[in-house]
Amino acid sequence: MDSNVNNFVINIATANGTGSQSSNLVILHTMFEMGIPVSGKNLFPSNISGLPTWFIIRASEAGYQAPGDKTDIQIVMNKDTWEKDITNLESGTIIIFNEDAKLPVDRDDCFAFGMPMTKMARKINPKMAKLMANMYYVGGLAHILGIDSNDILKAVKSQFKGKEKAIEMNMQAINEGIAYASENWDIKSDFKAESRPKDSDTFLIEGNEATALGTIYGGINMLSWYPITPSSSVAEGIIKWLPELRTAKDGGTTCAVIQAEDELAAAGMVLGAGWAGGRGMTCTSGPGISLMSEFIGLSYFAEVPGVIWDVNRVGPSTGLPTRTQQGDLSMLYEASHGDTQHIVLIPGNVDECFEFGWKAFDLAERYQTMVFGFSDLDLGMNRWPTKGFKYPESEMDRGKLIRNQQELDAVPNYGRYRDVDGDGIPYRTLPGSGIDPILYRGTGHDEDGVYSEDPIVYQKTMKRLKKKIDGARDNLPSPILREEENKELGIIFYGSMENSITEIDDILESKGFSVSTCRIRALPYHSELESFISRHDISVVLEMNRDGQLYGILRKELPTQLLKKLHSVAYSDGMPPRARLYSEKIISVLEELK
Amino acid sequence: MCPGCGHDQISNVIIQAAWENGLPPEGIAKMSGIGCSSKTPAYFLGKSHGFNTVHGRMPSVTTGANMVNKDLTFIAVSGDGDTASIGMGQFVHAIRRNLNMVYIIENNGVYGLTKGQYSATVEKGSKKKKGAVNTQNPIDLCAMALNLGCSFVARSFSGSKKQLTALLRAAISHKGMAVIDVISPCVTFANNDESYRSYNYVKENDEVLHIVDYISHYSPIEEVDIPEGQFKEIELFDGSKIILETIGSNHDTTDVVSALTAVHEAERNDKHVTGLLYYNGEIPTTTETLGLTNAPLCSLNEEEGRPSEESLIEVNQRFRSS
Ligand SMILES: Cc1ncc(C[n+]2csc(CCOP(=O)(O)OP(=O)(O)O)c2C)c(N)n1
Ligand code: SF4
Ligand SMILES: [Mg+2]
Repeated sequence: MDSNVNNFVINIATANGTGSQSSNLVILHTMFEMGIPVSGKNLFPSNISGLPTWFIIRASEAGYQAPGDKTDIQIVMNKDTWEKDITNLESGTIIIFNEDAKLPVDRDDCFAFGMPMTKMARKINPKMAKLMANMYYVGGLAHILGIDSNDILKAVKSQFKGKEKAIEMNMQAINEGIAYASENWDIKSDFKAESRPKDSDTFLIEGNEATALGTIYGGINMLSWYPITPSSSVAEGIIKWLPELRTAKDGGTTCAVIQAEDELAAAGMVLGAGWAGGRGMTCTSGPGISLMSEFIGLSYFAEVPGVIWDVNRVGPSTGLPTRTQQGDLSMLYEASHGDTQHIVLIPGNVDECFEFGWKAFDLAERYQTMVFGFSDLDLGMNRWPTKGFKYPESEMDRGKLIRNQQELDAVPNYGRYRDVDGDGIPYRTLPGSGIDPILYRGTGHDEDGVYSEDPIVYQKTMKRLKKKIDGARDNLPSPILREEENKELGIIFYGSMENSITEIDDILESKGFSVSTCRIRALPYHSELESFISRHDISVVLEMNRDGQLYGILRKELPTQLLKKLHSVAYSDGMPPRARLYSEKIISVLEELK
Repeated sequence: MCPGCGHDQISNVIIQAAWENGLPPEGIAKMSGIGCSSKTPAYFLGKSHGFNTVHGRMPSVTTGANMVNKDLTFIAVSGDGDTASIGMGQFVHAIRRNLNMVYIIENNGVYGLTKGQYSATVEKGSKKKKGAVNTQNPIDLCAMALNLGCSFVARSFSGSKKQLTALLRAAISHKGMAVIDVISPCVTFANNDESYRSYNYVKENDEVLHIVDYISHYSPIEEVDIPEGQFKEIELFDGSKIILETIGSNHDTTDVVSALTAVHEAERNDKHVTGLLYYNGEIPTTTETLGLTNAPLCSLNEEEGRPSEESLIEVNQRFRSS
């Protein structure tokens, strides 16, 4: 049995808009700064104020980042969910509750500790009692876990940057909370938070801010966006960092930001920017992608570069706007009518959010097409550790761009859509250059860009487009493989499932399975995937959706002889993947096979 | 194009105006949506790049292109279906942003390309050769542009070559959004005499606001009919001039209320008012409002477009210590 030092799950139940997020981040950052492997997940509702919110903090010496299967310490602050929050707990759970809610805690099998949080907060500041009350559970928690108030101070300071009065008041509340708990709570818990040597390079950041920085280092010239959870913070991150990082010598900015009238317009602006030789991007979520589809097809067919960053939330339709899923993958890969196929980059951690943020532009220009970044709410809106972002290892790749007559003369038999090099990728010239002007169009066109409905011309174009995108496979981020000797079972997964995979792997190993893993980082899939599947007896495609979207794509594209080895485990309920749940799903599929 | 289509006449005026204004073809970007009208960029200014985009969404593509290359002169062609129905949202917002472009609506009251359905600009009670009567109120795109604060609003007729050329030349010189709603008869689906956008109807019912002339900044002694009566001069951003010769009432192009009055009065009398309805050269364009650097963004090199490695070290460090 694992020790309870630095191994526990805290669930904090509050209402949206009560300021509890500050308290929760103070706890998270305190433990992080103490060097404890910790992760935090915010389960928030789709409204501004009043609806229930849960914040899950998990400390795990093994570094597990999944939300955890059970709660060890429950904090109850929200009257609306009070009863349910308490009833569902396993026996032996520690409960910290706000006595001023005047609601019962009928769980004799648990250890319940109350504190008059609102009353105490009122004494510090009557007007802000509701907000301040949340700092008292920080104090109570600190007492139980044995966290020193000095360790909390740093996190409070960073939370309330420079606002001395706020820092002072919040610390007072926390200290009063600690004092109250030590005087009134008779508790013998072995859940402890213990400092570990902390790697001083590591810091926490939301995936979306990492993406934002990545795009800025990718030379983004035009951001168009229409607000939608959970992608807005990508745009807000870009807007935040542009003045510092992208102001030219003359004081002007080198990236235009436009809040578009809708996603149709946002996508159109991306195409316009790419067509005119700039690096345009928009960020959105599923509903936005649905609206953008027509333009995505135009980008594919007229071969115009652009980047769309999709932060997946739960669909279909408006779905669960503030919950997470991997439900957009098949839509992205084949978005728009007719035969299409798009490059999709799938980050699994914040470092890749940054890296794919800049790389997407290089690939878009290299392949003259729309490139997607595919993240999700869990990765995008929660904070994850990084040791620091790495500067792009190569200069910007502008692809086959002809800028002057000399360059044009160097291309034999040039035509805008002629495959001169045999890789399916044609050369392009830019408006304003005067070099080989053509009228770009979404209608059929021949190798010179001239309107055509000729069957042979059309068929040839479509074949070349296929060749072009297929040819990108092995230039896209390759899968991350971790393989066992005996090649029994392979798990193929992607994106934020990364945060649960180590734990899933450990659970499966503890049940006697020997597990290799393969994390896909792009579509169309890399050739290494095929060899991974060949090498293993059985491969399971593990994903967070109902229908097994990656599995479906692979079934369509893999050589037939590999298909019998491939199985799907797909499940989605809006929650980030809990390791035990997904492990059980895998086991039941494996058992069916026996 | 069907022989006699108004859109063809407009294409010829575009060629003429671009040439008379001395625009180098590589400096022009031709933009369009989808429709008979939007196909016309294939037939003019062959030495300029163009983008025949998707139905109703040309303004957004133009916006993106304008952001990364503000030195291009955007001449855009749209239809009344393209603008007043599927593209209404983008039209409105391009005006709000005062995007620096010429936006020509080739307005025939029908969807030509899909074989003659009514568009949203067609007059109430209109009857095509075949089919039902239109029962809905029309959308007047000039009135709408005026209400939205558009910086240059004009109406003309594809058959009024001189007026249209002068207006278009001025629109090209204008810095900001220039909307020209051009009545452009569809000879195949809506040229019956009772149709308000047929050649015969327009000829009879064109209320010309003033005689428009344009003098470019580089040749002040260009051949212009010097007006005999009252006239007004408007100096444009690039030093060129519009000369408006008064006929009948004295229209004030700086007053949006009189512009709206002119449009609504004409509508009430089943007429078309043509000429320069409104002009305001003082409104900042999108790129000005955004404070872009002077060089077109598409021309930036590695060093100008990507922050330094040192800056990233500094960013990482700041996260670590916060
Ligand atoms: C998304 C979409 N819906 C419908 C169409 C079919 N369509 C093509 S042109 C057109 C109407 C064009 O009318 P207008 O803009 O007035 O141009 P005109 O042909 O009259 O010049 C329609 C509905 C389309 N191309 N795309
Ligand atoms: S159908 Fe009408 S609008 Fe289209 S080309 Fe013919 S005349 Fe012109
Ligand atoms: Mg029309």
